Amino acid sequence: MADNGAADPGNNNNNKPDASEGTIIKVTVKTPKDKEEIAISEDASVTQFKEEISRRFKAKQDQLVLIFAGKILKDGDSLNQHGIKDGLTVHLVIKTAHKAGDGASSSPSSSSSTQAGSSSSPSPGTNPSTAGTTGPAAPPTQTPNILTGFGDLSSLAGLGMGSANFMELQQQMQRQLMSNPEMLSQIMENPLVQNMMSNPDLMRQMIVANPQMQQLMERNPEISHMLNNPELMRQTMELARNPAMMQEMMRNQDRALSNLESIPGGYNALRRMYTDIQEPMFSAAREQFGSNPFSALGGNSESGAQPSRTENREPLPNPWGPPSSTSSSENGGGTTAGTGTTTGTNPSVSNPLGINAASLGNGMFNSPGMQSLMQQISENPQLMQNMLSAPYMRSMMQSLAQNPELASQNPASSPSAGTNTAQQQQLMQQMLQMFAGGGGGGTQTPEVRFQSQLDQLNAMGFINREANLQALIATGGDINAAIERLLGSQPS
Amino acid sequence: MFKVPRNFRLLEELEEGQKGVGDGTVSWGLEDDEDMTLTRWTGMIIGPARTNYENRIYSLKVECGPKYPEAPPTVRFVTKISMNGINNSNGTVDSRSIPILSKWQNSYSIKIVLQELRRLMTSKENMKLPQPPEGQTYSN
Repeated sequence: MADNGAADPGNNNNNKPDASEGTIIKVTVKTPKDKEEIAISEDASVTQFKEEISRRFKAKQDQLVLIFAGKILKDGDSLNQHGIKDGLTVHLVIKTAHKAGDGASSSPSSSSSTQAGSSSSPSPGTNPSTAGTTGPAAPPTQTPNILTGFGDLSSLAGLGMGSANFMELQQQMQRQLMSNPEMLSQIMENPLVQNMMSNPDLMRQMIVANPQMQQLMERNPEISHMLNNPELMRQTMELARNPAMMQEMMRNQDRALSNLESIPGGYNALRRMYTDIQEPMFSAAREQFGSNPFSALGGNSESGAQPSRTENREPLPNPWGPPSSTSSSENGGGTTAGTGTTTGTNPSVSNPLGINAASLGNGMFNSPGMQSLMQQISENPQLMQNMLSAPYMRSMMQSLAQNPELASQNPASSPSAGTNTAQQQQLMQQMLQMFAGGGGGGTQTPEVRFQSQLDQLNAMGFINREANLQALIATGGDINAAIERLLGSQPS
Repeated sequence: MFKVPRNFRLLEELEEGQKGVGDGTVSWGLEDDEDMTLTRWTGMIIGPARTNYENRIYSLKVECGPKYPEAPPTVRFVTKISMNGINNSNGTVDSRSIPILSKWQNSYSIKIVLQELRRLMTSKENMKLPQPPEGQTYSN
């Protein structure tokens, strides 16, 4: 074979000691992206081979890793040793400077920051809302509520962010999380977080320990019912943990809902459900993890098929509320509820709006439009009263419905919100529409609309007109549902 | 079906391994060229992009027993890896968790096993698993 004693024509390798001996073989060098044929002497060493390769592939020699027949070719070896012959293929990997190894080293740091962050992610509803609330105006006093629930995490304050104030730290983390959904999914995938989330008891304790949550639970026994059901909690957490699963669930819900529409009488039920879900939707409007609370709703696909009212209904207080601590705390509690609620169906309406709102959430709360809205609300005592007396979003929406220009003014007045403005307007209009559709009357006050129902309730012995009205509003005029609500809200 | 004798199959696979058949992301060959029984093989998987395995080269040992290709080979990672179905302490691939091994067919080959393992690296459950520092190997 090696019979050409003359200088090898293809021998353009430098420093080949016994140049005359080796035959030139053509070896194919293949990377995942590309392929080159390299001529080299049969007796060459791996080093020489790499030199040639580095020239051809324009990479540094020490970035090259050569593999043949499942073995890594070390620089000291010779091609012969590995049996590399003419026409065979060698695999090449060009190592880039940043390696996946960084992923390993950054995960310990991310897991420690996720411990701090885990105070936010495991109960996705609670923290973001309160942190979100605390963002612009309200005092950070609400965050300690959550923290105490999670045990003493203040020691983690020094981690990562270098902020002495743990509240700030948390807020920063929230903002970061919000702005970077990928980071969120990374955090969710962190085994530490997943472990936490897979422990229903732990989750429940954390949620319950939150005083805002406790308030909410008092107001709505359904929440405590839901929390006490371990199966449900587990499902919820599965969902929260696995975004893909959440989306699946949501899609199932949507399909179930569309089926529901075709059942006679089902459309009314749907409308009722819409109004019920309006509230969580509003919370999503200011809740950054907008889609999460909803997907949590998709916990039980069976109940979607039932035309009767759903169990889920945590009236979420109004996200448009002025940054007073009451409404903020209600918001916080409300959004937790939004997260924690399930067994209700997940209407398709909330999905598109939920996602819309999530992106809105940030912009909306901070935009001048919101602030002008709040201004106008405070200027209009009627509105204020409504808001304060009925923590349900619905009343506020009623007022808005009565003063439609108020509604349209607000988004319009936000100067440079850009796309946010358009979205806000859309959201507002949709909300108004749905509200109108759900209420069936649009511009009448609830008292007027539910006059007959109120009378009936009165006749049955429910003399608390305010409570009746609220219940009717919440159930969209359905007397039976209202009664259940009233009975449920009696001190238990 | 006509059953190909074991050695024929393995010689064919040896040749394919040397010729680099496939997309260049896996490689395999005899561990010892003198091994006349063609039992012990080494394999190499290049970690797929956009996963935590990216840019890493995983070395494996594949053992084709006497019943191969009727019986699946045993596979073991030499390079440390964190992946579902791979024993964390010694790198052995659990034949029951990897579908291609549990539902082995005699038309499968070492190449297919390696490619399948590589594909599993891209699965959602695996791709983000934190990995040990590069270059570590299992002690045995």
